[in-house]
Amino acid sequence: MNAIREAVESSDVLLTVGSGGVGKTTVAASIALRAAMEGQGSLVCTIDPARRLANSLGLDALGNAEMEIAKATFDAAGLQPKAVMRAMMLDMKRTWDDLIVRHAPADKRDKILANRFYQSLSTALAGSQEYVAMEKLWELRTQRDYPLIVLDTPPTAHALDFLDAPNRLLDFMDNDAAKWLLTPALAAGKFSLKLFNLGGSYVTKTISRFTGTETLQQLADFMLNISGMNEGFKERARQTRALLEADSTSFVLVTGPMPERLDETVHFHTLLKQNKMKVAAIVVNRVHAPVPPSLWEEVARLPPEKQRRFEETLKENESQARQDARGVERLREACEGTPLVLVPRFEHDVHELKGLNALSRWLWGEERLEVGAAAR
Amino acid sequence: MLRSTPCHVNVTFAVVEELNDKRLIVVTGKGGVGKTTIAAALAVQSAREGKRTLVCEVNTRERISQLLGKPEVGAEVTALDENLWAVDVRPQEAMREYALMLLKFESVYNAVFENRVVRYFLRFIPSLQELVLLGKILFHLKEKRPDGSWRFDRIIIDAPATGHAITFFSVPQVIIDTVPPGAMSSDAAWMRDFLIDRATTAVVLVSLPEEMPVNETLELHDALTTRVKMHPRLVVLNGFISRRFEAGDGDGVWAGLADVVRSHETRAQMSVDSQQKLASLKLPLITVPRLNVPDFDRKAIDAVAQRFGGAR
Repeated sequence: MNAIREAVESSDVLLTVGSGGVGKTTVAASIALRAAMEGQGSLVCTIDPARRLANSLGLDALGNAEMEIAKATFDAAGLQPKAVMRAMMLDMKRTWDDLIVRHAPADKRDKILANRFYQSLSTALAGSQEYVAMEKLWELRTQRDYPLIVLDTPPTAHALDFLDAPNRLLDFMDNDAAKWLLTPALAAGKFSLKLFNLGGSYVTKTISRFTGTETLQQLADFMLNISGMNEGFKERARQTRALLEADSTSFVLVTGPMPERLDETVHFHTLLKQNKMKVAAIVVNRVHAPVPPSLWEEVARLPPEKQRRFEETLKENESQARQDARGVERLREACEGTPLVLVPRFEHDVHELKGLNALSRWLWGEERLEVGAAAR
Repeated sequence: MLRSTPCHVNVTFAVVEELNDKRLIVVTGKGGVGKTTIAAALAVQSAREGKRTLVCEVNTRERISQLLGKPEVGAEVTALDENLWAVDVRPQEAMREYALMLLKFESVYNAVFENRVVRYFLRFIPSLQELVLLGKILFHLKEKRPDGSWRFDRIIIDAPATGHAITFFSVPQVIIDTVPPGAMSSDAAWMRDFLIDRATTAVVLVSLPEEMPVNETLELHDALTTRVKMHPRLVVLNGFISRRFEAGDGDGVWAGLADVVRSHETRAQMSVDSQQKLASLKLPLITVPRLNVPDFDRKAIDAVAQRFGGAR
């Protein structure tokens, strides 16, 4: 049986990972759509979908909520799904705010929300998006009851940052240094920190030269205020990690066949494996199909004045197909044991439901692209 | 700022006047559109035209040295060619350099910045990492040689892709808004001013003749100009496919061949449509034809570089 179909049927969480620009969001949406078509209710959670894909998923004006894709939308595409498909777009700031509102002690809530560090943490801080995606996944998995959640991971330059994100936050809260700074203040019930008790110490003075004193004070306030949430964060980070490693969670690695993507993909694959994550398949998207020999035979029969233009085109197509096929072979060798699913390059971008459904036929192995011969 | 150069060398980006007198060129676009290729080609052309050029990759898997057929350069500024240097800017080294600049003495750095508690604190200063990455790159713009001329006439940044580029270049403003006055925020202010200065800094947007990349280019342009206040000055449409077949070529031929014609025509049409759509940005646009080469190497980069210079 086809690897993706199998993973979808046996998983309740599926994550698409890969670097930007490889069609990760489209693959995620296509998998969720197909699951719904087959009767497995699904939710696709996207981070930053292209506008037209968002439109066709009905996500044009929405924040952080899961929206059901209307029957009328499916009817217009000529599709009759057997189960409900939902889609959502992750809103970073709102997920953070929800988190604070839900978990912070009542007397700290407003202080946290108003803190300048919190505000930049929740909107601009690099790595924050990865953390929020993991928090959202945990929430969706534990608070709702979707048979399948497909999570499109943020298009990071370092696609596995999300694995690290919960740990990084934990580190922030649970670091020895943090304890050293916070403990005396907490014990004394005071809003002052050891760092500032050091007063004019050399270290404090030097850091202040770097950041300004007020910065340290604000950061300290922030840490003090969220320190009560420590245990909750820790527990969820642990559970999220367990969720990612669970048997019912699968990863689909999405890539293109271009050489510059391959090294990254092999690297991601190794990391996922090292982290005990289950990689169901590698989707190689936008592969140029080989040129069948019959085309060359036909070209030979053309009148000479036409021949040259056809030959030139076939040669180009052949060289691209060969390059892609070599990439696929390299990937196959480097990621032995993980099935590859090849998707051909389409002439137009896929963003309508109909196109997503057609794409799923390739993902499900109902249509297949053979490139082996082109590599030679 | 023109310096004397040998008379046979054209001192300008012949095609791209908009980039001519710029000291900082930021190359960005959707992931997978060929930003690195274009940044490398611009750098080669810039160096060829006699400008001392530094091309920077930002905390990524280094590719430019390889594209230019050279060994990996790493986090040290390394000469690749006449007038051409490269560096892969990485956070840890950049942080050290930045701290040393402020603190002047290595022993002080070691005493303070190797301190466990301090390191902990620094990690959570919002966007400090991005600030030092950007800070290191822009710092090289201030460096001078003993004769008073710039160490680098021009820096080209192979910037992160769309969303990350916006975050990255917003960092100085974020710091200005979050961090109270101090050395860090005044550095951030200097960086912000340099980035938004139309006279010194230009953004090059790279796109592909496909629907999503083109749409994203338009959105990126909007975000960069309104939110970050930077100035895109050039669009590069990479992978352009020109029309080849003539009317009637697809008629009366076997269906498989008719498909070959149709597919090529579709892609050529998409190239033209993309060009027209991008024209709405009212910026100069350079098309770079799709190159059919088995491996993208120095020769291919040189060919792309030609598009940005040479006699026209």
